[in-house]
Amino acid sequence: MTPVSKRMDVVEAGDDLRRRTLSHIKRPLDRLIYLASTRDYNTGFYYHDGLASRFSQEVVCEALADCHRQAFRELLLSPLENLVGQMAEYIETSNTSPADFVAAWKKLEPYRVAVPVDTDLLTAEFLFSNFKIALAILEARLNTRPQAAPDAWLHQSPAQ
Amino acid sequence: MISPMIQLILTFLVVIGVFVALYFLSRRPQPAGGSESLLEGRAALNALQRELLPPEMLDRIFSKVDHEYVSQDASAAVQGLFLKERRKIALSWAHELQEQILSLRRFHLGSARFYARLSVRTEIKLALQFLSLLFLCRVLRGLFFVRGAYGAPRVVGYAVAASARICSISENAMSFLKAAELDSVSENPQRTPMLL
Repeated sequence: MTPVSKRMDVVEAGDDLRRRTLSHIKRPLDRLIYLASTRDYNTGFYYHDGLASRFSQEVVCEALADCHRQAFRELLLSPLENLVGQMAEYIETSNTSPADFVAAWKKLEPYRVAVPVDTDLLTAEFLFSNFKIALAILEARLNTRPQAAPDAWLHQSPAQ
Repeated sequence: MISPMIQLILTFLVVIGVFVALYFLSRRPQPAGGSESLLEGRAALNALQRELLPPEMLDRIFSKVDHEYVSQDASAAVQGLFLKERRKIALSWAHELQEQILSLRRFHLGSARFYARLSVRTEIKLALQFLSLLFLCRVLRGLFFVRGAYGAPRVVGYAVAASARICSISENAMSFLKAAELDSVSENPQRTPMLL
């Protein structure tokens, strides 16, 4: 396979993934977590059974890596308010108690393993820093939310 | 009889002196050149253009929107955390900028003049630009440390503009290089490309 035809396959596989799967995942945060979960932590290679039936493993790996980098970039460039909103909605869909979720994320920092492998240190640290601030904002909301409206905290502005 | 003898001794001493000088000159460290400094220069240019200087990235790091959003928060603890985190990132950014500019300067010192045949005037201008930018980076780090990430917007602007100018000059100096040649050097460092 020539480099050009391989690149064309990677683009096609990436488009396929975006159309069939990623278009149904609305938030960049969810896309980042999903794409990071397709990566084997021992090897750094990405796997996707559906795509593997049509493309070579090498092409699938590169297509997933491209999409992963794109989702990372989208999340990185999201304003802090938007990131807080994404995290609040993500917590809502996770079927976990918000307090437990925030405590676990603060302690384990799972977002650290969700970045693409070739991310430079400053960029990664910037996103981690934003996660840390977003978690602090969500935690502050949790501590001040009225007991009668348990879900209202998700949609507060910081001033509330 | 004495005079020719003195002359002989003096000539002998001069010859020894020349040999000693040649010996030390040959041992003097040469400026980094060749493929290594070229790759370092290209990597620094990539880091500057793709990671440190893109406007969208700078907008995020020094975003007033984020600052205003967090400033609305009643919690002083969250505001304190935000300012602390942003200061840490701004310091890392200034440090990284300084490191990449130093790498580019090493490239120019080591090899740019051989490849691009810069004029003396351009070289002096470039040296002054490097000097002022490195000074700006130090000032920025001091300002970020004392006043936080939002304490020096103008100096950030100056540093970004100066860095962009240096990137443009460096890019011109490297423009004759094709990506394929760089790839072949990185894959096989033993091989020296034709242009080198």
